[in-house]
Amino acid sequence: MVEKTSATGVTRRTVLGTIVGGGAGLATGRLSTQGLAAPAAIDEAVALVQELTGKTPTVSDRVRLSMPAHFANGYTVPLTLTVASPMTDADHVRRVIVLAPRNPIVTVASFHFVPLRSEPRIATRIRLAEAQDVLALAEMNDGALLMARMHVDVATNGCE
Amino acid sequence: MPAPTPRVQVPASVAKGALFPIKTLIDHPMETGLRRDANGQPIPRKIINEFVCRYDGAVVFRVELHEAVSANPYIEFALRATKSGRLDFVWTEDGGAVFALKHDLVVA
Repeated sequence: MVEKTSATGVTRRTVLGTIVGGGAGLATGRLSTQGLAAPAAIDEAVALVQELTGKTPTVSDRVRLSMPAHFANGYTVPLTLTVASPMTDADHVRRVIVLAPRNPIVTVASFHFVPLRSEPRIATRIRLAEAQDVLALAEMNDGALLMARMHVDVATNGCE
Repeated sequence: MPAPTPRVQVPASVAKGALFPIKTLIDHPMETGLRRDANGQPIPRKIINEFVCRYDGAVVFRVELHEAVSANPYIEFALRATKSGRLDFVWTEDGGAVFALKHDLVVA
């Protein structure tokens, strides 16, 4: 059953392998952007999202991810998330995906919304294996991918 | 394991056109499939993998849950009140078991 889970989900191993494997190619790209002061953590998050979705996310303050910076219990870390959107037929959020890149299984949940009927604001509780940047990705109806991240430190591994 | 009990909290009445919150909870261990028992054997995955809310039959909100959603999944979300009608809440477990609740929404 463990093997089956690994095959259907994205595992930490495949993600790390991808990031390490892509490192050689990224190195030359980084040289040219050194002056832009793009933090390595954002590069890593963007690379992960590109691998999972095939799209390049844009960091946006329209996505508000709120979690405690430090939390003792990794089994149940509170998370609230809102996306600023009119939620009309012409302009709305299709779904929001939550990723925990340093968990054994990276994808945490996806929330699907319907224009005029539901609003992109949710609260839930998640498991975190270790300190990491949790990512929230909002997929808009025009295909744009907006990203927010929040660094969360946990004292206990919530995935054991 | 006793059958999971779902619970929802919906405002008693909401104004037409207003946004209103819904809180949902279901008691469920959300067994990840990553753990082993005392004999070293893997414990099979069994999680709630989907939650759907329908409003007068139309899906208005849906969640795909994975292993990292905490045990006893809590989901809070917000709907737009259009008219009085029925809200259906359905949780689906690995293996296909479903747990459901309904609520008659009053839109004033």
